[in-house]
Amino acid sequence: MKVSFQALSRHLDLAGVTAERVAEVLPMLGLEVESVTTFGLAPLPLVVVGEIKSFEKHPKADRLSVCQVDVGDGAIRQIVCGAKNFKAGDRVPVALPGTVMPGGFAISVSKLRDVDSAGMMCSSEELGLGKGEDGLLILTPRQPALGTPLNALFGAPDTVLEISVTPNRGDCLGIRGVARDLAAALGLALKPLTVKTAAGLATTPSASDAVKFVRSSSEFCPYYTLRTLKNVKVGPSPEWLRRDLEAAGLRPINNVVDITNWVLLELGQPLHAFDAKKVSQGIEARPAREGEEIVLLDGKKVKLETGVCVIADAQRPLVVAGVMGGVDSGVTDSTTEILLEAAWFRPGEIRRVARRIGVSTDSSHRFARDVDPAGVELASRLATDLLIEHAGAQVAGPAIAVGKPPRADVTIELPAGYVAAKLGTPIADADVNAAFARLGFTVKPSATGFSVLVPSFRSDVSRPIDLVEEFIRIHGTDKVPAGRPIAPLPGDDDALTSVFTREVSARLVGAGFTECCHYSLRDAAELERTLGADKAALVAMDNPLTAEQTHLRASLVPGLAGALALNLSVHADPRGLFEVGTVFRPQADGTVREFISVAFAVVAEPVTRSWKSREAFDALRAKRLLQDVAALAGVTAVRLSFATATGGLWQADHAAALVDRGRAAEGACGVLDLRWTRSLGLKSSVIAGEVCFPRTAFVEARKIPRFEAFSSFPPVTKDVAVIVPVGVAAAEVESRVRQGASKAAGKEFVLESVNCFDVFTGPGLPEGHRSLAFEIRWRHAARTLTDEETNQALGVVIATLEKGAGWTVRR
Amino acid sequence: MQQQLAQLVAAATQEAAAVATRAELEAFKARVVGPNGSLTQVMKGMATLSKEERPVVGKLINEAKKAVEELISSLLVKVENSEIAAALGAPVDPTLPSPDAPVGSLHPLSRTRERILASFRKLGFVVADGPEVETEWHCFDALNTPADHPARDMQDTLYMPKAFRSADAPRKGEEAILLRTHTSSVQVRTMLSRKPPFRIVAPGRCFRRDAVDATHSANFHQVEGLWIDRDVTLADLRGVLDFFVKETFGADAEIRLRPSFFPFTEPSFEMDLRSPNLGRLSNRWLEIMGCGLVDPKVLELCGLDPNEWSGLAFGLGLERIAMLVHGIDDIRHFYNNDTRFLRQFA
Repeated sequence: MKVSFQALSRHLDLAGVTAERVAEVLPMLGLEVESVTTFGLAPLPLVVVGEIKSFEKHPKADRLSVCQVDVGDGAIRQIVCGAKNFKAGDRVPVALPGTVMPGGFAISVSKLRDVDSAGMMCSSEELGLGKGEDGLLILTPRQPALGTPLNALFGAPDTVLEISVTPNRGDCLGIRGVARDLAAALGLALKPLTVKTAAGLATTPSASDAVKFVRSSSEFCPYYTLRTLKNVKVGPSPEWLRRDLEAAGLRPINNVVDITNWVLLELGQPLHAFDAKKVSQGIEARPAREGEEIVLLDGKKVKLETGVCVIADAQRPLVVAGVMGGVDSGVTDSTTEILLEAAWFRPGEIRRVARRIGVSTDSSHRFARDVDPAGVELASRLATDLLIEHAGAQVAGPAIAVGKPPRADVTIELPAGYVAAKLGTPIADADVNAAFARLGFTVKPSATGFSVLVPSFRSDVSRPIDLVEEFIRIHGTDKVPAGRPIAPLPGDDDALTSVFTREVSARLVGAGFTECCHYSLRDAAELERTLGADKAALVAMDNPLTAEQTHLRASLVPGLAGALALNLSVHADPRGLFEVGTVFRPQADGTVREFISVAFAVVAEPVTRSWKSREAFDALRAKRLLQDVAALAGVTAVRLSFATATGGLWQADHAAALVDRGRAAEGACGVLDLRWTRSLGLKSSVIAGEVCFPRTAFVEARKIPRFEAFSSFPPVTKDVAVIVPVGVAAAEVESRVRQGASKAAGKEFVLESVNCFDVFTGPGLPEGHRSLAFEIRWRHAARTLTDEETNQALGVVIATLEKGAGWTVRR
Repeated sequence: MQQQLAQLVAAATQEAAAVATRAELEAFKARVVGPNGSLTQVMKGMATLSKEERPVVGKLINEAKKAVEELISSLLVKVENSEIAAALGAPVDPTLPSPDAPVGSLHPLSRTRERILASFRKLGFVVADGPEVETEWHCFDALNTPADHPARDMQDTLYMPKAFRSADAPRKGEEAILLRTHTSSVQVRTMLSRKPPFRIVAPGRCFRRDAVDATHSANFHQVEGLWIDRDVTLADLRGVLDFFVKETFGADAEIRLRPSFFPFTEPSFEMDLRSPNLGRLSNRWLEIMGCGLVDPKVLELCGLDPNEWSGLAFGLGLERIAMLVHGIDDIRHFYNNDTRFLRQFA
């Protein structure tokens, strides 16, 4: 809302207070000042009225004129000018040398294209008076005397503060509300509002009223007043009124409309004026009937939702209550009799209806923020004063009121010492009460403390805690000291998801990976690739804003693949990239579950050349990294198994899907689908890995490891190599070796490890077979194992392996 | 005798020059000091000498023996050196670059987040988290947001379809499921699940139905804090925020609390920051976060008796803090993932 310094001065005596001070004080009251601008003509003593005696074309520039100008000092000045909109004899503003224009431009005696120029003739915009007609500001119609300083013609400039009013402060959508807060903060008195029109309301129209009935049958309009004003002469508003509206950013229309708008700005109470001749019989606030339509003032035809509150006459709806009037009942130049509406509408309903119709007006904005019911009649009377004075109106009688104000002043019981306790600093109750008095609240002692009577214009203050806010606004937050030092609470620790995020990030950063951060919202194609079309539909949003951001992400890998491509395209070596974040995955039961995902991606072929080559990152290094990540989340290697991944993001036969036997984690690693990554512009294949954990996986605190004693005797190792058909997974063979080796150890000694150390295909092996060699290590807790024992044990392993169909142990 | 010994030493020295391997060294040792070695033979001759000659000759022999032993140990060093050279290959040029990739780096948002969390941890705040897809009740109702509040509008908030079912945030009745607009929903979940007193900070990703530009992003990050205890005061709020700001922006940073409005706090404030170390944003008040005392209505909605418990809450935008701290001018840098940006903050 725009509030000018002059407007505030109508309500409190601001002598000795600068606009800058006001702009400093208001924000600390909760009224944020978004901008401070000058309205009107800034002090420009060297800009005076001059007359263009004659002019001719500039000899060297077609667009310029050389003018002979008289500013009344007996001399004729030559001024070069680029404007076209003047004629000889016109009076215009002349900035004499020495003037600094509002834009900072200094005027001096100079030459323009070799022609002397002693000053500048000014446009409206150059003077800071806003965009007027093109060219010079022509003053001729005003008939000013030559040499008159322009400031004498335009009056003093004003300062306009654009204030952002929070939704709770409907009272500050009127200048008087802002002035009230300012007065309280500065310790100044609010000037009383004088209204001449007598108070008092009638319940039914009299013979002199222009309507036969005034009714309300809508629950959204509990209080409605209407006043008849006759002999109205519609015409232009007086200068001061036009100026006030323009300072507030409104366009003057005619005296009747301008007066209702002026009162709206002044008191925050919207008013509406009907042309009485266009109203059939009477006025009723009623629910819209099915199929009713209205053409609004802005020309928009609106089909009314059944039940919304309309202001109607005997035949048709005239106004969408509190939001916008219709075209055919408004005040025009030929109007002579008006009906002035002042009412109170339910805030929530006004907000809903305005949003539904898609219009926001000064009126709906205020009604939606709960106008003061006690101010309804006052606003009507103030407008009546002005209509009498400036539109020649005659009052037919008291306003007719239906219903009653929906809420009144409230009394809050404030316990003694309550405010000081909430602030955490000693404050005398007397100081607290003094601040309330300045806000217009009435304080009386009560049994437990104080009774604070809060006027109805402050609908946001209803509880003791609200009074704490009121006090601190006026008292100043800078007077509250920083509080006591505090100690941590024992045994309280970070959520395990947070600990994991921190640890896993440190692990990957240590391994050379750079962390990325991608949007959670992805396009349909990505989700279809990741999940398949059916499951992708389960993570689609209801109201996406753009076609690129329609789905929740189910994997971090596509983002990383994109980042690799982006970095290569700008010739930056991406090296390894990783991301930690939430992904959304459809579950077998039809729900969608959130997982904490960790993913990484590397381009397989090194980007930067090196004098010494290193082994490239491959699928099995990705596997190792994935296992390490899982271990940080408390998922041990034993629980994880890997199988060949198929489809989706991953390249067939070159990637592994990860399965957690504890059913907590999901994941995959290996080469990304080559056709896809090539389509992203990546020439080399991409190695990636992703493992994700449901939030519930982190619920249990991690166990503290217990010490286990170990043997001081040497181990015995034996090697075994087995030839199996190529389709048999290494994990299956290893598991068979383990099975035999632990069976052989029995309870006597311990199988310490099984390690695959050779994989061979080629000459000497049957077609379609490969050889896998394992090193088995046993150890006894209390002695050295004998050859006999270990050879026997190896025999058990061999026997176990040879049970496999087509498996042969090499001897 | 003396001459014989001198010749022996001279011969050994000459022979030693040709010794290059450990085997040659062993053979050399055998020829000189082995059981049949040349020096051994001379020493054996000592027995035939007279009592008077022995000390003189003994001294000469000892001198020769010492010379030979020195020769052998120097040969050993020489042989070992050549063995080591053979085992290690060419010498290293320490001025060559390492072919290995350097350590990676945390994203500037993660770095900023961890820094912020660390400062609140010092004040006993612990990290809490919750789902990103939330019920409307947890995101709005429980925070005293009116049913017709604009924030709930389809224009401003992203919703999931009616058929969507979240495993992490099951809906009650017909309520809508949405992408949380703030991490305050974590505060609600904490109040419902924990017994006070507690102090939590909730970092996390939030969503608004905003078009992407230099200052807006469809998803962004917040860090929100909540302290529930008996008699939590405005002075406590000021103390916590003052500490945080000095930790993050340096000891010469100042704060001011500017009254404002949020449905979930009363009184409510915007916290402004002023610091001399923020480049072109130095020495002016900058809006950093919203904060206030928890509205009694919110405590009630979350099952806490407002007559017994009170609280303070605050929330800040991670992107904004990171932009201020590092002088970043466009929020999109955070999500573009150009490593030339990401690696600047390592």
